Amino acid sequence: MKMEDMSLSGLDNTKLEALAQDIYSDLVEDACLGLCFEVHRAVKQGYFFLDDTDQESMKDFEIVDQPGVDIFGQVYNQWKNKECVCPNCNRSIAASRFAPHLEKCLGMGRNSSRIANRRIASSNNMNNKSESDQEDNDDVNDNDWSYGSEKKAKKRKSDKNPNSPRRSKSVKHKNGELSNSVNADPYKYNYNTGINYETLGPDELRSLLTTQCGVISEHTKKMCTRSQRCPQHTDEQRRAVRVFLLGPSESSLPDADTMVESDCYDASDGQVLMSRLQWDGSSDISPSDSASSKASTNNSDSKKPKKKKTTSLGLNSTGGGGGGSGSGGGSSSQSSLVGLSNRKKKPKLPVPPAPSIYDNLN
Amino acid sequence: MSKDSKMRATINQKLTEMGERERLKELLRSKLTECGWRDQLKAHCKDVIKEKGLEHVTVEDLVVEITPKGRVLVPDSVKKELLQRIRAFLAQHAT
Repeated sequence: MKMEDMSLSGLDNTKLEALAQDIYSDLVEDACLGLCFEVHRAVKQGYFFLDDTDQESMKDFEIVDQPGVDIFGQVYNQWKNKECVCPNCNRSIAASRFAPHLEKCLGMGRNSSRIANRRIASSNNMNNKSESDQEDNDDVNDNDWSYGSEKKAKKRKSDKNPNSPRRSKSVKHKNGELSNSVNADPYKYNYNTGINYETLGPDELRSLLTTQCGVISEHTKKMCTRSQRCPQHTDEQRRAVRVFLLGPSESSLPDADTMVESDCYDASDGQVLMSRLQWDGSSDISPSDSASSKASTNNSDSKKPKKKKTTSLGLNSTGGGGGGSGSGGGSSSQSSLVGLSNRKKKPKLPVPPAPSIYDNLN
Repeated sequence: MSKDSKMRATINQKLTEMGERERLKELLRSKLTECGWRDQLKAHCKDVIKEKGLEHVTVEDLVVEITPKGRVLVPDSVKKELLQRIRAFLAQHAT
């Protein structure tokens, strides 16, 4: 029975295979017939050949394969070298630049008014009068033509900073004049938020440092323009900056107290310098400012040809006290002065003047 | 032999009743379109029609011309896949 089963199953297998083949061929024939019916209907309805193009059109739109020409037969940069004449200013402009030029020329584009105003402003600043008429404005506005003038304009602006007459020179600060200096200073700032210490003279530096924080930023090399009490910088930093900029003898900061500030702006500059000298004396004594103290001792010993030294000498005579010609700044605080004066390691200056100065200040 | 024919009839019936036949048809059609068989045959149809003349073409003409070519043009992969599915069905449902 097994053999029969096996043979039967074997037969079945071949039969099954034949059956499978039959089913497959039926399916394929069905597909073919379906296609035939479709095509026949299309022929009879007349849409069978619709998707083909006629011979004439085929020749017209044949793919072009020549050099210098795209597949449609068009030249790529046909209009590149052509020039157009602007109807407004009657200049011949390159075709690819014509549209932007018209924008600026007619004053109708997005940025045209902005650029025009900027140019007017800069020319006003330079000439102090609006002499530029419409024609000139157009000329200046046109980027196509006046790259050179644009560069010149920018250069002029940057040159203004160090050489312009508005720069505040060293002036004895009075209460009334304070506002002037403040007004003048912004011109130095211009596009910057700080001051470049390289462009300032020593007198200006000193005047700046008495009013402002002045700490030089690492990134921008500019002085901080905030007040003496600006929270971003410490007093140490301010002192370091003054040492760096004004020389070691000027390493003292003006007192933050209003009393000393008013002294700064009063006619009695001598008092400021007295306080500076006081600081100078104590700086000799204090161990922390070893560099400054050594320098100040040197200063006190020898006369220096620098301007600041001579002025302080003059004021010394008016003040009538203090020995050295060192012109250190005021103390950071009166209490520290007292503390430092107590440490008498190298009393170069006579002690008696110290209390007398205190009397004056108090 | 009648057993065979009976068996065949039964299987065909099952194929249709279960919807397997339709599924197989759809599968074949999509596969043939994918592989470009349809477009090939259509181009051949165009030639036949141009030969016979647009007005006088009959269905029979087309069938006679197209079907044998169609059978031949079926790619092997499509054929194998279809046969595989049919065999699977038979194995499942025959006897």
